[in-house]
Amino acid sequence: MDRRTFNRNMAVIGTAAALSPFGIARAQAQKLKVGVILPRSGYLGFIGQSCQKGADLALEVIKEMLGVDIELMNADFESNVDTARTRAERLIQEGANVLVGPFDSGAAAAIAQVAEQRGVPFVINIAAAPQITEQGYKFVFRNFQTAGDIVRNGLDLIGELFQATNTVPRTAVYMHVNDTFGQAMTKGISAMLPSRTQLPFKVVDTISYDPAAKDLTVEVSKAKSANADFLLLVCRLNDAIILRREMVKQRWQPMGIVSPGSPGMYEEQYFKTLGKLSEYSISNVPWYNPKAKLTQVVEKAFKKHNPKDNLVFHGLNAGFTFEAILIAADAFKRAKSTDPKTLADAIRQTNITEKMTLGAPIKFNAKGQVEGIGSACVQNLNLLPTVVLPKDAATAKPVFPVPGYKKA
Amino acid sequence: MKRSPVLLAVLAALLVLLPLLVGNYALSVATLILYFAYTGQAWNVMMGFAGQLSLGHAVYVGVGAYAAGSLFFHYGIGPWAGVCLAIALCVALGLVIGFLAFRFRISGVYFALLTIAFAEFTRIGFDHLDWTGGPGGMFLRVAQRDTWDLANFRGPPLMYYYAMLALAAGAFALCAWLLRSRAGYYWQAIREDEEAAQALGINTFRWKLLAVAISAAMTAVAGVFFAFYYNNLFPEQIFHISRSIEIILGPVIGGVGTLFGPVLGATVLTLLSDGITEALAAVGWEIPGIKQVFYGVVLLAVVMFLPNGIWPALARRLRL
Repeated sequence: MDRRTFNRNMAVIGTAAALSPFGIARAQAQKLKVGVILPRSGYLGFIGQSCQKGADLALEVIKEMLGVDIELMNADFESNVDTARTRAERLIQEGANVLVGPFDSGAAAAIAQVAEQRGVPFVINIAAAPQITEQGYKFVFRNFQTAGDIVRNGLDLIGELFQATNTVPRTAVYMHVNDTFGQAMTKGISAMLPSRTQLPFKVVDTISYDPAAKDLTVEVSKAKSANADFLLLVCRLNDAIILRREMVKQRWQPMGIVSPGSPGMYEEQYFKTLGKLSEYSISNVPWYNPKAKLTQVVEKAFKKHNPKDNLVFHGLNAGFTFEAILIAADAFKRAKSTDPKTLADAIRQTNITEKMTLGAPIKFNAKGQVEGIGSACVQNLNLLPTVVLPKDAATAKPVFPVPGYKKA
Repeated sequence: MKRSPVLLAVLAALLVLLPLLVGNYALSVATLILYFAYTGQAWNVMMGFAGQLSLGHAVYVGVGAYAAGSLFFHYGIGPWAGVCLAIALCVALGLVIGFLAFRFRISGVYFALLTIAFAEFTRIGFDHLDWTGGPGGMFLRVAQRDTWDLANFRGPPLMYYYAMLALAAGAFALCAWLLRSRAGYYWQAIREDEEAAQALGINTFRWKLLAVAISAAMTAVAGVFFAFYYNNLFPEQIFHISRSIEIILGPVIGGVGTLFGPVLGATVLTLLSDGITEALAAVGWEIPGIKQVFYGVVLLAVVMFLPNGIWPALARRLRL
């Protein structure tokens, strides 16, 4: 080696040594970039915006909890599965370390493929199709119940409701909205109900109706004539409002209206439109624990961000979106890196005991699915959706049979 | 030297080299543009060439997707056999729709309504068909591969891009040939004045059916691509009327009945959609739905000031 070569090599080594601390500083990222991909416009826009509220408050709550800095990269996929795919690509290209979203199973499946292909962790906030976590993905995680779990938990809570109120309804009339969701729920109920021995009732009639129906006179009249003890209902928002009004109009007063796992009756618009007629309707859905310590913190932050709004009307959407970001932040804190593989490995080791939603601690199984997520029996009391079961999370006692609407 | 072939050659070279020039995001947008250019071209055969307005073209995408998807899902049979089945089923379906409509002289708006009706009841049918997953959807098993597995149509996004590019180029060539064939001239005669075409001895029933069959077959192939690109199918999404509208928007904006119209329309619409998103993000407007308002305003402007589409005006200006 001549002197010139030696000097050149030493210069290279010296430069590398001098720059190495900067290299280390780059590897230990200070901030986690979370790509939040939600349907903030289009037909799912209302729900997407509700989820966004959970993401917005996550920054300060998580900073306080874990000391982790998060940068949100928001993307609206416009309720369109094609757009979901391209937005996911965009977020990853712009440097998102982890993706969170998207409330819709079709979009979730499309984003999952992009995330897997690019090797970027994807934490699903809400999407119930079980197949998403059955594909053998290594970067896809879900902290939400699958469709089967929602029905199973919803039916089990009906049994608990009867037990808690010492009632034994013998018959039910089952009404459901005749769309993709309604039919999927109906299949689940038909498959699981016969094996639920704790549910003593028999379904005497099944009535389906159009989700865009403007009038449910005939359907309600038919349901009333079945003379069943209570109404088992799978609905959405608008039809739930029309149906409740029609029940009052026809003076049909069953022991109660119980949903084994559908939206509609706990939503703000239901209360605003129906006023006192919204009282006592029951929905068994994945929900947050109002008594959890974290809920109090989130509630406070929610109020600060949305002074005119109430967390209880966004509980499911905001709660699970917040938790999805919490999962990512918790993994980032342990991994001390934004390297996707390290981050995914850290997510796989998640064990969050202090959580907001009901159920077991957040732990992922080998497929990337959290097991043991709980549902709540949510009854409309004093114009608010109120948890009445399970007992340890309840803030009021369930009312069943419900009083007549005139007494409401 | 004519400018059109030169323009075409430049465009083809650019599209072939595109993956070398852009990132993954742009590649996924380009794949989407090519998909809509292809399906728009397929729709154009029926409406642009033969004058038969279909507002239910999503039915062919859906049936094609489910046909190939089901073969793969249940029997592990790859998409090449699936594409044959998809084409056969969609041609049969198109012929049934066409036969019913043309035999009973249903035309214009009523024909369009019939196509919507078929798309709708096919959707409802698939919602109740457990074999294809019903409303819960069908999820094809995804295998992440960096190598191209053409037999099973599995591979990286680059493979899907080139597959879609080949399909779009093939559809363009086929349509160019069709437009200059006897069928093309007969279709244009039927489109302009069906009674006059009949008076000249053209069997309008037969030639209209041919247009429907070719259009359905081409769209079926797009369905197979859709199934293997997205790997999940939901009746509510794939048969929805909004999908049919998405298919026709490209050729309508680009220029109905022209060869470049569907390509230009799909490009303008997709880039406009993403461009508006970017522009709004740049100015910091995070108002949900505002993009759709801008999008609608721009579309309205195009329809008002360029009622024949962008391509005819552009071609005149470029003297093509």
